[in-house]
Amino acid sequence: MHAIKRLATGKNLSLLLALVAFLVPFFIQIPGLSEAGHRLLSIFLLAVILWVSEAIPLFATSAMVILLLILFLSDVSGQLEWAWGMAAFPEGGAAPAYTAFFDTLANRVLILFLGGFFLAFGAARFGVDKNLAAIMLKPFGTKPSRVLLGLMLITGVLSMWMSNTATTATMMAVVLPIIHRLEATDRFRAGLALGVPFAANIGGIGTPIGTPPNAIVLGALSKINPATGEPIGQCSFLQWMIFAVPIAIILLAATWLMIVLMFPASRKAIEIDMNVKWVKSRPAFVFYATAIITIGMWVTGSLHGINSYVVGLFPVVILLASGVVSSKDFRGLEWDVLWLVAGGIALGVGVSATGFDTWLVGLIEWDAMNRVAIGVAICATALVMSTFISNSAASNLLTPIAVAVAGASGASAIIILAFVALGASLAMALPISTPPNAIAYSTGTITARQMLTLGTALAAAGILVCFLLLRPLLHLAGVS
Amino acid sequence: MNSIAILSIEDEPEVREAIRRDLRPFENQFRIEAAEDVADAREAIAQIEADGGRVGLILADHRLPGETGVDFLTQLHADEDHRAVRKVLLTGQADQQDTIRAINQGGLHHYIAKPWDPQTLAEVVRNELTAFVLEHDDIDPMPYVAVLDGPKLLEKISRGPRID
Repeated sequence: MHAIKRLATGKNLSLLLALVAFLVPFFIQIPGLSEAGHRLLSIFLLAVILWVSEAIPLFATSAMVILLLILFLSDVSGQLEWAWGMAAFPEGGAAPAYTAFFDTLANRVLILFLGGFFLAFGAARFGVDKNLAAIMLKPFGTKPSRVLLGLMLITGVLSMWMSNTATTATMMAVVLPIIHRLEATDRFRAGLALGVPFAANIGGIGTPIGTPPNAIVLGALSKINPATGEPIGQCSFLQWMIFAVPIAIILLAATWLMIVLMFPASRKAIEIDMNVKWVKSRPAFVFYATAIITIGMWVTGSLHGINSYVVGLFPVVILLASGVVSSKDFRGLEWDVLWLVAGGIALGVGVSATGFDTWLVGLIEWDAMNRVAIGVAICATALVMSTFISNSAASNLLTPIAVAVAGASGASAIIILAFVALGASLAMALPISTPPNAIAYSTGTITARQMLTLGTALAAAGILVCFLLLRPLLHLAGVS
Repeated sequence: MNSIAILSIEDEPEVREAIRRDLRPFENQFRIEAAEDVADAREAIAQIEADGGRVGLILADHRLPGETGVDFLTQLHADEDHRAVRKVLLTGQADQQDTIRAINQGGLHHYIAKPWDPQTLAEVVRNELTAFVLEHDDIDPMPYVAVLDGPKLLEKISRGPRID
């Protein structure tokens, strides 16, 4: 009861703080920052506090951000001069149309993600995830370290296509009975319980639809560079996989090795009884075919010329039209995730339209800095932020800044943004760092200290791997 | 944390103590209350709800001073606010008529005959509370994964609202 009261006051305090932070820039004058920039700062500070505190749901903050951007920084705010007492962009320059902010709710990345939701939905509905797990685990035998490797690999692979959270919950349901069959003193219990969430977090790196941070940074790439009139970057589904999958594989292997060393099994063999039971109904076959076609088209984009965003709409149309996804199922999809991502993209639109980015990056002397060091610093910032707050929220806040940093430092946008997405996904030192960690921790088989040790080691390894490999891998993928 | 309560109704102090002992595995995640009779149980429920909690499971003896356990379960079942409470009869003295009434009108979920095996009782409590948590979308299953049926709760979490 007291805890509930405390929580309630904590929420109210955060809301109050957000309001105060929002108001402050209206009363102070920051040198070098435009009037519009001050208003953007207001909205940005409010977003920081609400996304960090989660006083209201993450997606509610997104909706609020979009509305505030429209009221204060679009052509609509020009109509509101009577209320604010000042024009939208007092220093001149055209304010973005309000539709530019609405449009973020239908950003192509959201459609891509929606396609992913349909595949994840079908996979869970027809038990494809568990069947794949059963099939893929067989060749790994019964030796504990091999079983762990198998479990982590299949978790990673599933997590590339499903949310990290759903993958972890599904795989932990498989792993929990195995854990309970081990002796209470067996250290390998903790190894199993840590392997699954870590593999899910890492697997999310692998594809553009693996986890929201990937979508958020991809959404920012479509920003137009005023100098060239072109988007600031291009990265196809396959190109993303070419640079991200090798990094994910290396990190999975590193995590597995660390777990095997830290949590040796006392048994010689572990039995897993998982049965493969393919659902053979008509809707199931429609889904299997849809999934194969969609994923196939995603990874072969250059052959047929249909980009991955458009392909994302294929499973939506097929599964809705065939009735495999009913209207009730459709209503139950994770629309909140899409709104959350849209809020981040909208914030990015506001940041660049107001010149807030130019001002912010102007505070630092970029020429003196090594571009790789900038990337690593951004990666570490994303990692530290995501350790304490939602990965998606951290990406929403950092992405607009990262785009500005890339512009100011002359680094390519995609490399800096990839550092943001990877950094956000590498945060797994605490139970609160990600929902997968929280799920694993809730099983009561690991301690926070074990998670901290492994998570910190992995974060260090992750930054090192990104530092060494991201640039060459992006080069290999042909992304610039 | 202890917002879901387990309420036992048992008039004999030794038996009450035995139930309490067998419920020990649940005491970290659940509030555990023991009542001597039906009137006492009503008070306990009112107190739990005044504290912002709710009753998830009732383990009721049948033969009690005053109202019987089956009468009480029947009333609870008729009451919209308490229909979802998982109801277990833990008794040696209910005759066939009472038992039939408990099932048909009391919405009984499980019957345990006295004397009981502690492990069976723990298993029944575990299953019933799992069902209670799964039936309520406003309860986050996560805190109960370790003490209740983990795989079933994880299944629900995988369809839940958490964002990566």
